[in-house]
Amino acid sequence: MSNMIKKADAFEIVNHWTTAISFFLLVVSGFGFLFHIGQVGSVFGGFSQMRVIHNYAGLVFAASLLLSVFSYLGEALIFSGEDVIWLIKGGGYLSKTGKVPPQGKLNAGQKGFYLLLLLAGIVISASGLTIWLMPGIRKWLLLSHLLHNISFDLLLIAVTGHIYLATLANPGTFRIMIYGTVPLEWARKRHAKWVQKMGF
Amino acid sequence: MSRKALLISPELCIGCRGCQTACKSWNQLSAEKTQNKGTAENPPDLSPNVYNRIRYVEVPSAANPVRWLFVSQRCMHCGDAGCMKICPAPGALYRTKEGAVAFNKEKCIGCRLCIGGCPFNVPRYDAKDKIAKCTLCSDRISAGLAPACAKTCPSGAIRFGDRDAMIDLSKKTGYAKVYGEADLGGLGTLFAFRDAPAVYGMEEKPAIPESVIFWNRILRPLAYWGLGAAVAASLLHYVAVGPKRDEEVKKDE
Amino acid sequence: MTNHWVDLKNSDVILVMGGNPAENHPISMKWMMRAQEKGGKLIVVDPRFTRTAAKADIYAPMRSGTDIAFLGGMIKYILDNNLYFREYVVNYTNAPFLVNPDFKGPRDLSGLFSGYDAETRKYDKKTWSVQMDEKGLPKKDVSLKDPHCVFQLLRKHYSSYTIDKVSSITGTPKEKLAEVYKVYASTGKPNRVGAECYAMGWTQHTVGTQNIRAMSIIQLLLGNMGMAGGGINALRGESNVQGSTDHGLLFHILPGYLPVPTASVADLKTYVEKLTPKTKDPKSVNWWGNRPKYITSYLKAIYGANATKENDFAYSLLPKPDEGMNASWLMLFDQMFRGGFEGFFAWGQNPACSGANAGKVRKALATLKWMVNVNLFDNETGSFWKGPGVDPKAIQTEVFLLPCASSVEKEGSITNSSRLAQWRYKAVEPVGESKADSDIMNELYVRVRRLYQTQGGAFPEPILKLTWGYGDARTGKVDIHRVAKEINGYYLEDLFDKKATPPKQFGKKGELCASFVHLQADGTTSCGNWLYSQSYTQKEGKVINMMARRKTDDPTGLGLFSEWAWCWPVNRRVLYNRASVNLQGVPWDPKRQILKWNATKLDKNTQKPGVWEGDVPDGPAPPMADEKAGKYPFIMRADGKGALFGPGLADGPFPEHYEALECPLQANLMSRQRINPAVRLFYGKKGSQEADIFVSCDVRYPFVATTYRVSEHWQTGVLTRHLPYQLELQPQQFVEISEELAKEKGIANGHRVVVKSARGEVKAVAMVTNRLRPFRVADSTVHQVGLPWHFGWQFPEDGSAGDSANLLTPTIGDANTMIPETKAFMVNVEKA
Ligand code: SF4
Ligand code: SF4
Ligand code: SF4
Repeated sequence: MSNMIKKADAFEIVNHWTTAISFFLLVVSGFGFLFHIGQVGSVFGGFSQMRVIHNYAGLVFAASLLLSVFSYLGEALIFSGEDVIWLIKGGGYLSKTGKVPPQGKLNAGQKGFYLLLLLAGIVISASGLTIWLMPGIRKWLLLSHLLHNISFDLLLIAVTGHIYLATLANPGTFRIMIYGTVPLEWARKRHAKWVQKMGF
Repeated sequence: MSRKALLISPELCIGCRGCQTACKSWNQLSAEKTQNKGTAENPPDLSPNVYNRIRYVEVPSAANPVRWLFVSQRCMHCGDAGCMKICPAPGALYRTKEGAVAFNKEKCIGCRLCIGGCPFNVPRYDAKDKIAKCTLCSDRISAGLAPACAKTCPSGAIRFGDRDAMIDLSKKTGYAKVYGEADLGGLGTLFAFRDAPAVYGMEEKPAIPESVIFWNRILRPLAYWGLGAAVAASLLHYVAVGPKRDEEVKKDE
Repeated sequence: MTNHWVDLKNSDVILVMGGNPAENHPISMKWMMRAQEKGGKLIVVDPRFTRTAAKADIYAPMRSGTDIAFLGGMIKYILDNNLYFREYVVNYTNAPFLVNPDFKGPRDLSGLFSGYDAETRKYDKKTWSVQMDEKGLPKKDVSLKDPHCVFQLLRKHYSSYTIDKVSSITGTPKEKLAEVYKVYASTGKPNRVGAECYAMGWTQHTVGTQNIRAMSIIQLLLGNMGMAGGGINALRGESNVQGSTDHGLLFHILPGYLPVPTASVADLKTYVEKLTPKTKDPKSVNWWGNRPKYITSYLKAIYGANATKENDFAYSLLPKPDEGMNASWLMLFDQMFRGGFEGFFAWGQNPACSGANAGKVRKALATLKWMVNVNLFDNETGSFWKGPGVDPKAIQTEVFLLPCASSVEKEGSITNSSRLAQWRYKAVEPVGESKADSDIMNELYVRVRRLYQTQGGAFPEPILKLTWGYGDARTGKVDIHRVAKEINGYYLEDLFDKKATPPKQFGKKGELCASFVHLQADGTTSCGNWLYSQSYTQKEGKVINMMARRKTDDPTGLGLFSEWAWCWPVNRRVLYNRASVNLQGVPWDPKRQILKWNATKLDKNTQKPGVWEGDVPDGPAPPMADEKAGKYPFIMRADGKGALFGPGLADGPFPEHYEALECPLQANLMSRQRINPAVRLFYGKKGSQEADIFVSCDVRYPFVATTYRVSEHWQTGVLTRHLPYQLELQPQQFVEISEELAKEKGIANGHRVVVKSARGEVKAVAMVTNRLRPFRVADSTVHQVGLPWHFGWQFPEDGSAGDSANLLTPTIGDANTMIPETKAFMVNVEKA
């Protein structure tokens, strides 16, 4: 497999799955809470236990989110003119023939997504922690409750898009989260600048 | 079954606090170690062991040293109950057939969100972090008895009956403005006030916090619809535009 | 109460003075507020703005101990403005009576009545008498103009009680006085009625009896006695204090308010002669003229077959105090303090906290050889030997605690303030080894009797000859129904009305008496307490416990509830109700008709026309206008008249304002007599004890203090301090002080302070409040403080409650009753 290129290391893979799984648990239990879904509650062994799982999954989520900073934040913070054009062109997803400028290791959309994830993730974690650990202060409680739910809605929509783009919309992408590598060609098309920088 | 309610008349209350003792005694709540802090009012706040209390309110008076009012504080059994609305655990707070807002400690998950939802700062939590508050004596009223506090009150300051009848009674005895007649879907704890609610230390227009309403109207459905829309959009894209295939990329070259 | 709880709803004006019903008699407020709902006015006069005051239409502050000045001003106001009910006053009171011309009052004698002896502090009452005509009837001037008539003397007596003077004594603002007087005096009209409610705030003063007398005068002037919605209503401080007083709790009365004979009243004949009131007026019922029947039936009840005509119905066995001996509370503990007693039963009481000058009481207990403490819980009395400042090793007293049952653990009757005897049932068995009081007494009696039987003794007969048929043979326990029946009384023979032809039988041997009307002076009936005759009776052979009745019919709508339980006398709900009608028997106020004479209806018993309809009348006789048989309404008085002039009391026939023993003033603004001249002083004479010290107008103790109770506790708190729920509501001793005084003393709300009197001190939490305001008295500022007396060192065990406020109160009593003056004394308050 000489024409493969490594896009994610083991740490990133593990951490991503940690985020993903905790997020999944949080969403499912969150839905259980939001809509009083008894079946969800029973799956978790009752609502009380679900609350415990939700809280600790939240901790895990927050931790993995913080760790992800080492992997992505540096890249995500640098925006170039090409990124702007990428964004204007909708990442080339708007038509079958969409053409976009060459991108680095993360394309502009991924950068944006990551920043949103990070921000909303921090808000949802912080507000969740507030509800959990500072109960009884009504003002904080109400603010946290509001922010928790706003960020939840944002994350829910963004992550759905993320999953789609990383699976169906871009066949071959998903393997990064298994092997860490992608075909060189695949990478050239999508992350030309990065491939170049890597010396291929 | 018609909705039941308490009618509380501070003008008739003599501050004897039989209601506090009766409530504790019926609900088997333990006593608190209190201190005299320069007021006869005690315990100082609602607590998991204090479902109701009399606030001794002193307001200035022209004719007398003070005007001394005795105002009962307890759950208002809101028709539109913020505590129930915000509560994430089904069955932890529930409405009885008499219209009371009761709780089930087994189902309470101890998240304390109901503090945020309640416009009257009523819910409290016991040592096991379970909700505790006035239940309108739902166990008594479902058996056809008056709530313990109403039964004990010597002066008629707490009366209990069909909600409509209580409103009538209040109006007939000259208290035209019944606190809680319409607010919050109608309260199950009505007050017959002679003056503005503020005089008695009560909110003029009690309301569920706007953020909770916003959450309930917008954010909550958005979780549902937002997820649906995102999935639908993805599918639509997949069908209409289709995935980025490497072959196509090749062709492009 | 001359009236009853529910009756308060019928009032146009209710004056609450000397009481705090919202806190101490909560249920009464229900009825007072009903009256208010119908437009009635509630007036509260109190040094503090209490929870009752919070409900009042008019609140007037008044310095503790100045009630007579306040009420005297009202009497003057009523007389000056002609607001009295003239027809009532002329016909139903002694206003027209001509008084002995030698009688002089405080306006003539600078604060004294005629006949005073400063040496003995007693009055010779010779001149306090009414002039009699040749027929032995009081001389009268129905025009009320004669300068010697009671009415004119009354006017003269209160002539100096001007609003200015009253205000400068009481500290009540003048406008408040005028407002209260105006509103209350409005009840002098026949169609308006006012009621008064009092409690310990009136009785616990050196002028306690006269406080109530002053109000009686007002009520008679306004025609409020005997009326529904009227009366003078003593709100009792305990659920059964009325009952225990009826049954001879006090040292000077036997059950049914029969006087206790002194040693000089050697035989029954003398008793009857000396102690039976007499009248020559055929229109006066003079109910106490029946006293021979009641005392004889009483002797038959307690000595049974041992009481015979031959042995003077065992009268000689009745205990009799020596001449002049006073066995009231203060005297008993004074005696004990001086080592006069060997043993003491503290039965259902806690004198170490409840007794005035409790510090002295605690020292007195230490002189005892033994003490038996009968109570639900141990208390400060039983544990006095390990109390604050006491060295247990120095105490020789052996203390026994007999645990007794609570009220829900036993059956029996209690009599509330409405004179309503209600039967109660046992809910649960007594806890542990505790027993009903009656069972403890039973066992005690049986054992003492056995000792007398086996070992003899100095004077065994009073014990050995008692009837004691209460024990159930099987269980040895007292059958409380037998006690109740003995109180009601039995026919001991078949009895006939000999005036009827043929003689009609009214009593069957062995049956329960129908009522006290049937009691006899010849030993053919027995009755433990004539007032209660009819409470447990027999109709057509069937035994009926009237006190257990529970019917809620109210045909008049006036709230008489005549078939709910039973009240003395003979279920009469409003006393002196014959005064509620005019001379022809027509109600003064048809809206409040409790009684009405129906001249045409046939009487069931006599088959003659003329019956009373409504409540049980004060005697069946026709109304006063009836030439032949008409009677006066005030049947308990020998002259049949309401007493504006009351020569029976020790300290004067008219109430006069005197300052409390300890007061903030150098002199009484009303006269040269600072304190009640007829009180018995404990301190400041030969042989007096330092423990009884008092000070007055002394810079070291500049503030007036009063003690009181709160809703959340009962008496010394022995029953309520042990209830965690009650303690939670009122956890500790506090003292209410005004914001002005707090500022002067640098005390903040919630601070710990020490309250000191000449006799002791207590720690308390300062409750700084506007509910108490400084008074303007005699052109200077007088501060008043108040503190409850529910607490004690013994429980809660951590001492967090504080000690009894009675450590502060003085040893001094009312001139007539010797009730201690705990409602007005002087203290200082300092930061702790
Ligand atoms: S029992 Fe009734 S009168 Fe007493 S404090 Fe409670 S509400 Fe007021
Ligand atoms: S008062 Fe508060 S706790 Fe009671 S029903 Fe209303 S929202 Fe719920
Ligand atoms: S209704 Fe029952 S639970 Fe509520 S305050 Fe009254 S006694 Fe307590």
